[in-house]
Amino acid sequence: MIHVQLSGQLRDWTRGLSRVEVDGASDILSAVRKLDATFPGLGQRIVDDQDKIREHVNVFVNLENSRELGMEKAKLRDGDTVHILPAVSGG
Amino acid sequence: MTARSDKVCLMVGTRKGAFVFTADRGRKNWKMTGPVLKGNDVYSMAYDKRDGSILAALSSGHWGPTIAKSKDLGKTWKVSKTPPKFPKSSGLSVSRIWQITPGSEKQEGVVYAGIEPACLFKSEDGGDTWKANEGMLNHETRKDWQAGGGGLCLHTIVLTDKRPKRILIAISAVGTMRSDDGGESWEFKNKKVMVGYSPNKYPVFGQCVHKLAINDAAPDMIFQQNHFGVYRSDDAGDNWKDIRNNLPSRFGFPAAVDANEPRRFYLAPLEGDFSRIPPGGHFAVWASDNAGAEWNKLDKGLPESSYFTVLRDGMVADQEDPCGIYFGTTTGHLYASRNQGEQWEKVSDVLPPILSVSVSAT
Repeated sequence: MIHVQLSGQLRDWTRGLSRVEVDGASDILSAVRKLDATFPGLGQRIVDDQDKIREHVNVFVNLENSRELGMEKAKLRDGDTVHILPAVSGG
Repeated sequence: MTARSDKVCLMVGTRKGAFVFTADRGRKNWKMTGPVLKGNDVYSMAYDKRDGSILAALSSGHWGPTIAKSKDLGKTWKVSKTPPKFPKSSGLSVSRIWQITPGSEKQEGVVYAGIEPACLFKSEDGGDTWKANEGMLNHETRKDWQAGGGGLCLHTIVLTDKRPKRILIAISAVGTMRSDDGGESWEFKNKKVMVGYSPNKYPVFGQCVHKLAINDAAPDMIFQQNHFGVYRSDDAGDNWKDIRNNLPSRFGFPAAVDANEPRRFYLAPLEGDFSRIPPGGHFAVWASDNAGAEWNKLDKGLPESSYFTVLRDGMVADQEDPCGIYFGTTTGHLYASRNQGEQWEKVSDVLPPILSVSVSAT
């Protein structure tokens, strides 16, 4: 079970839920796809048309930024917590 | 088509969401709803007369672009779960949606979207699901297309009920393209349109078209505001004629045609690409009654000194008689005229930077 923590604006897609669980996701992209299957439209907010994490979206696995872990290919293990947050873009 | 009410709806897209103004057909007292769709750049909005909905093209710096739809004049919105998306094989990704245009009355459910990187998308279910136009996506010249200052954007879609198979589009900085077969195939329509930044001043494509406008009553007469001039075509884009004449500048972005007089054309000139402020520090709309042969300044009711900039979708004409003209500025000022620009009235001066203004009777 992967625990996914969603930032404020993404909760519009999850009927207000800030924390959701996904089962059987081996990496971030597969977790995003599973999220999208449960909450249609959510996936395209997180990844672009080429399934890359959007430029100004930060995804953390536990406390590590996915940019250091292979981005959308970052591996997940049972019990991990994934945070999906808007990047601090701008001044 | 829904029954016509007695309201006019003015839709204003900004860098901080959208505002919807409504008034009776007299267009004197505007009631504002908004901001709605907060956190999004709203590059384009359109009223769909077929079902009474408002469509909005949204681009979020964080969460990407999408389409939203309101069935209650902007009070509540439903965001698409399957917005425009390029096929993976293209290697492309939608970065912004610049234009949204409902199809004709007879094309039930058809909506077009103009995308960056440049491509036309079509929905056949009222904007829920979308498909990239393959003729444009796979166009043989695509590899040579270059972006304008705003990006490689398809920013204008012109349809006319009189020519149901025709689609005219404009891309910066690629030029005007026309399809006469409903989007199956595309031809460049840039003859005699100058490219000032190229050694070859009149190439087949590469023109920096800023906006196209027509009146449906004269579907083959097209007006164009370009980076390097103001043009008119009398044959649906096959040939273009320079109609700058006595305009104070050839540079500007928006363009609108009068609802009742197809030869009356409105522009908002800026000094030039070197200095994008109004000529003489005095913003004015300019109009021609004779399809560009001569131009008149329309500034009654506007500030004597102003440095307004109106972006490419920031000015529009309504369908009333006399025709109303509306413009919104990057300083958040919204002006309206109920008499073809002869007198301007301020609707608001407290909005965020305005990206788009559209209007419709509801």
